[in-house]
Amino acid sequence: MSTLMKRLPKFEYLGPQSLAEVCGMIAGTTRDEVLLLAGGTDAILQMRRRERTPRRVVGLKGVAELDFVRGQDDGGLAFGAMTTLQTLVASPLVGQRHELLQAAAAQIGGNELRNVATVGGNIAGALPCADMSPALMTLGAKIKLVSERGERWLALEEFFPEFGRTLALEDEVLAEISVPKPAANSAGAYLKFHDRHSMDMTIVGVAAFVSWDSESRTFAEIRLAYANGAPTVFRAHRAEALLRGQALSEEGLEAVAETACAESSPRTSWRANGEYRLELIRALTKRAIRQAWEKAVRSKAVTSKETSR
Amino acid sequence: MLNKDTQREFQVLGKPTPKKDAPQKAAGRAEYADDISMPGMLHGKLLRSPHPHARIVSIDVSRAMALPGVRAVITGRDFPGVRYGNLPQTRDYLPLAIDTVRYLGEEVAAVAAVDEDTAEEAIELIHVEYEVLAATFDPEEAMKPGAPQLHGQSPGNISAHTESHFGDVEAAFAQADYVREDFFETQPVKQGMLEPHACVGLWDSFGKATLWSCKMSPYAVWRQLAMGLDIKPGDIRVVQTYVGGGFSGGKQEAMPMDFCALLLAKKTGRPVKFVHTMEEVLIIGHMRHPMKIWLKTGTTRDGRILAQHVKLLANGGAYSSIGGFSIFLAGAMINLPYRVPNMKFEADRVYTNNGFCGALRGHTVVQMCFARDSQLEMIAAELRLDPLEIRRRNAIQDGDVTPNGFRVNTFAFDECITRVAEMSDWSNKKGKLPKYRGIGFGCGAHLSGARLMGHSASTAEMRMLEDGTVHLTTGSTDVGQGVETVMSMIAAEVLGVGVDDVHYLKVDSAATPLDPGTFGSRVTLFTGNAVKQAAEEIARQLAEVAAARMGVAAEDLEFRKHEIINRKDEKQRVSLKEIVRWGMFQQGRIFSGRGSYGYSEEKIDFRTGHGNLSPAYNPTACAVEVEVDPETGQVTVVGLWGADDSGTPLNPMAVKGQVIGAAVMSIGHALYENLIRIDGKVMNPSFRDYKMPLATDMPLLANFKHSNVITWEPEGPFGAKEAGQGAGTGVIAAIANAVFDATGVRLNRLPLTPERILFGIKRLQEQNGEA
Ligand SMILES: Cc1cc2nc3c(=O)[nH]c(=O)nc-3n(C[C@H](O)[C@H](O)[C@H](O)COP(=O)(O)OP(=O)(O)OC[C@H]3O[C@@H](n4cnc5c(N)ncnc54)[C@H](O)[C@@H]3O)c2cc1C
Repeated sequence: MSTLMKRLPKFEYLGPQSLAEVCGMIAGTTRDEVLLLAGGTDAILQMRRRERTPRRVVGLKGVAELDFVRGQDDGGLAFGAMTTLQTLVASPLVGQRHELLQAAAAQIGGNELRNVATVGGNIAGALPCADMSPALMTLGAKIKLVSERGERWLALEEFFPEFGRTLALEDEVLAEISVPKPAANSAGAYLKFHDRHSMDMTIVGVAAFVSWDSESRTFAEIRLAYANGAPTVFRAHRAEALLRGQALSEEGLEAVAETACAESSPRTSWRANGEYRLELIRALTKRAIRQAWEKAVRSKAVTSKETSR
Repeated sequence: MLNKDTQREFQVLGKPTPKKDAPQKAAGRAEYADDISMPGMLHGKLLRSPHPHARIVSIDVSRAMALPGVRAVITGRDFPGVRYGNLPQTRDYLPLAIDTVRYLGEEVAAVAAVDEDTAEEAIELIHVEYEVLAATFDPEEAMKPGAPQLHGQSPGNISAHTESHFGDVEAAFAQADYVREDFFETQPVKQGMLEPHACVGLWDSFGKATLWSCKMSPYAVWRQLAMGLDIKPGDIRVVQTYVGGGFSGGKQEAMPMDFCALLLAKKTGRPVKFVHTMEEVLIIGHMRHPMKIWLKTGTTRDGRILAQHVKLLANGGAYSSIGGFSIFLAGAMINLPYRVPNMKFEADRVYTNNGFCGALRGHTVVQMCFARDSQLEMIAAELRLDPLEIRRRNAIQDGDVTPNGFRVNTFAFDECITRVAEMSDWSNKKGKLPKYRGIGFGCGAHLSGARLMGHSASTAEMRMLEDGTVHLTTGSTDVGQGVETVMSMIAAEVLGVGVDDVHYLKVDSAATPLDPGTFGSRVTLFTGNAVKQAAEEIARQLAEVAAARMGVAAEDLEFRKHEIINRKDEKQRVSLKEIVRWGMFQQGRIFSGRGSYGYSEEKIDFRTGHGNLSPAYNPTACAVEVEVDPETGQVTVVGLWGADDSGTPLNPMAVKGQVIGAAVMSIGHALYENLIRIDGKVMNPSFRDYKMPLATDMPLLANFKHSNVITWEPEGPFGAKEAGQGAGTGVIAAIANAVFDATGVRLNRLPLTPERILFGIKRLQEQNGEA
């Protein structure tokens, strides 16, 4: 009940070296008993506030097979849950294939934080303010959950049933994230709002990813996802549908923003009022779509110039 | 020779001089209190109240004591029960709470253990039984009959009251062509220094207590420790370490950690260290007073102020700190920088169950200037006057005596306004910028040290060494603002030596002269004068020896570049070192000097508010340009241009750092900073969530300009006045005025959050049928 942080609770620390070991350690346990520790930038604070008091902590730092960034043969991208945000920001491969991921990761904390915070921790923490999940959702990311029973793949957008929870079972580890090859003439934008300009926690974050049909000059695809728009990060399917197959127009953007607001249910907290978050969703939805659209159109111009050369 | 102050050609002063301690700090070699390690040293931790208001029924420390590694546990009952504090009438602090806790975070018990982790574990094992009491958080609520009472001796929770009345306000309002009243509200703001409070206490076998700590005012701490421990001040020694930023607050006073370090050291016979976490720093007291300000102003048709009536309610939190003076100062400073012939001020500081408030850079002047300069802009608009013109018409001038008795020597306010107008390109911008871009003006003033009822004199002692360098000691601390450098420069100027030839020692109550310390912008003027005097005394002693040896008159001798030179025949010169050695070795002389300043009989009548509070006063003006995002309400500070009359800047590099630093802090106060408390609980006790501006929130350096209007302040050493606080006082109003200029939204409540700005814009759009 005290607001003050306390020392870390006493726990047994385990330092497995392989994913199989991790799975063995958490098989048959409950989330109250065991905590998976990635970068610890959330988990340590949770323990010091006594929101979590595990008997055992399983550190994932030594599990090398969870820390990788790999290009897929089909042009997609895969990375391990233990990939730090800084690795994403610095990886040329990520930059080439999914600039949006870098844009999102680069806006999280400062260098010190990004050097330890992982993408897996960002997703698995299941917080509505997490910045990686909206970007990943709009890219159509899938996640791999591994347990002693085997592995399964889920679409990230289905991963968060409610505030602070995921569909991962108690014996499952988030191991890998995979993102398909982006469509031709596509681009994304992530707009993260906070009061000051410098690094800060997100009040509202909007990810937009679009692909542009150069024949019809319309949205071939558009995906929108939100941080802090609701108790979980979510995709605004109804809003997206309004623009698919349409050209960019002011009225279209207005309608999408309106529908995105209707799909949102942001909360009021000491950080911001729900009413204000809705205003941000309205404004930033339009901006993010426009930015993504412009980039996508430009990318077409660049590729056609290159091919004509 | 000795009358250098009429000569404005300096050898050392006036030249931008890097801070002497900068290399140490930049290389990480400066030893802060937390860097101290002693053999056998124990680590302390404090147990804090989880309730905003409760009676302590019992405390059981037995489980904590039984934990291996724990060496001692103390509670409030281990202290003599003597209350301590700043002003004699408001001593309400205890080292640890005895029977009542009054805010969430108040210190209840302390542990010393072999390491930090054990100490933290032990803290959790202390069992306190509380009887939770009704709490009160808002000053207006706290004043109502039936509200929970915090301190028995302060009925109605009035922690301090002050009022003053000069002229005849009612009559002046009756005559005024124009009268308006506005309400303003400010938020709690923290110092935000990077070094948390830290100390090491030792109680030696002779029964003497020593505290090493990052204190700005070691002597104030020394006295308070003696009070709260109920021992003779002579049995206590306070040694200053490097101070990693202060901005007043806990580094100004003795804190529970200081008392506990000493008492635990006494109990264990070992040194004990305490270091606050940043979370503790943000939760405990010591912050800028949140205020409600009702400001009524009457003017003539052409904008001349006839009268101001201010009612002020300060949310003081659970304890007094320096709060009685805080509200007094707010009232006194209504007299600057504008002429207010009739003024009335009524203020209450109210106890509530929140962390307590005290001083913070700019003290309470900042809040008052926000209110007054915001309102002045509204008055100018109503009267269709140019915002600069209304300020000029009311500007205090050199030689003014204000209604409350401030005797203003130098006050280049007009010139500050003119320079800011030029630098900011005001006339091409005001009213002419594109939509959602705006510019605003704001002014303020400050004083160079206050003459208080208690101890307000500064002293310095200086001793020449045989190698021609000097040891200089004062009671004033370098808290990062550059005192070490500027005091060395003053001594070097007088003695014709280099800045690095002066060794400025840290304050040690057992060795350095008595001085109230660093606060209230007093050091350059007060201590600077004392240092100058001390150096002049040494110069006199040296001149006497040199004159005899050279066969010339002492009055004709000058000190330049390590030489003593006959002004009338410059070929006649002798090295300083030679004279020093000759005097020391052959004549057995001790070259030492002493100086003091500020012992004048002149005192303030705190009941009426009348008196010349400071030897010198300085005006400031600034313009801020902002851009507002009309869809999010977010403000970008595009440019900031300020001008100050800091007298003659002795170290222009340090002055620049100070004025820009003060402005930056005010940007934070205006736009971001806010210690958010819900039912007494701080919601954002970390620098992740308590938002200070960072570099990317600042205007580009090219648009961040500052100009010194140089005057020669007769009271200052070599013409100098303060620079560290005044420059921040006008900035908040300038930002509020700029936001208004950009959006049409007038916000009288701080901080100016994007949310409030956006909803303001929306309301205007609805009113104008645009939405
Ligand atoms: C100063 C500061 C600023 C911050 N700023 C931001 C910000 O701007 N945006 C943002 O989104 N976040 C921010 N955060 C929050 C946090 O840093 C990030 O969410 C980070 O990515 C979490 O990753 P981590 O590796 O530290 O996770 P951890 O703290 O180690 O873990 C978080 C949770 O995920 C679980 N977990 C971790 N890995 C796995 C796995 N492989 N499988 C299953 N469960 C797992 C843990 O058990 C825990 O419950 C900030 C935090 C701080 C302290």
